[in-house]
Amino acid sequence: MARKRAFIPPIQRVRDGFAFNLGDDEKQLVTRLLTELGQLLMGESGDPRLIRIFPPAYHLADDAEAEEEYQRLMREDLVASRLSGINTVNAALGSPDAVDEEAMIAFVQAINGLRLVLGTMLDVVEDHDPDDIPDDDPQVGEYHLYNFLSWLLDWAVRALAEEPVTPRET
Amino acid sequence: MAPTPVPVEVGKTDIDEEVVPDRPWIVLVWNDPINLMSYVTFVFQKVFGYSLEKATSLMLDVHEKGRAVVSSGAREKAEIDVFRLHEHGLWATMQQDD
Repeated sequence: MARKRAFIPPIQRVRDGFAFNLGDDEKQLVTRLLTELGQLLMGESGDPRLIRIFPPAYHLADDAEAEEEYQRLMREDLVASRLSGINTVNAALGSPDAVDEEAMIAFVQAINGLRLVLGTMLDVVEDHDPDDIPDDDPQVGEYHLYNFLSWLLDWAVRALAEEPVTPRET
Repeated sequence: MAPTPVPVEVGKTDIDEEVVPDRPWIVLVWNDPINLMSYVTFVFQKVFGYSLEKATSLMLDVHEKGRAVVSSGAREKAEIDVFRLHEHGLWATMQQDD
């Protein structure tokens, strides 16, 4: 992809935060996908596309009861946290100003959420080669979308890493 | 005159319930084909405050060995860690240490 060699990265750290160097069409695409993700999160809880968004916490059979309780108590919080992140990102993408670190962290979480859903739908396997999708694959569009989101996420993580990550307070 | 101290019988502990000390809980992150290596490293740094070196080494453990223990402690703490990793889309689970 020629874009990868572009001099200006799609996301970069600037003096007062982070800048998105994306076209309006790309911003609108991300906003549309995130809005769809939000609808998916508020829909049917057993939707198989969401399996990676809500992994089990207690994976041992002996802890089945604890797992049931975790899903009952925490799932709603997980949905709320994801929806709030999506709102933050869509607001940031709609603004010409630089975004702060909190919004950029919401961005990487949200883009990764999209990749989890798309990757689940595409049944992406280990060592998936983004350039190895034949043009006549019926899901070629989804693969391109997945690759675009991976590219965006990688640049966002790189921009965030330009300064040390603040350790969590203990 | 000072009262004579009366010996008090200490209540017997229930052996079944109290002899086994609480084993800590461990938080595991599992390898998966979707999450990017750079993103996983970033999440370990942000959620746990780990150095880039430690976060990278844990990420490589996940990638090469299939899973890694990323934190441990009391059950409540482990559950919070798992939740925060789930918020970031990582495949994290917890279990009591053997």
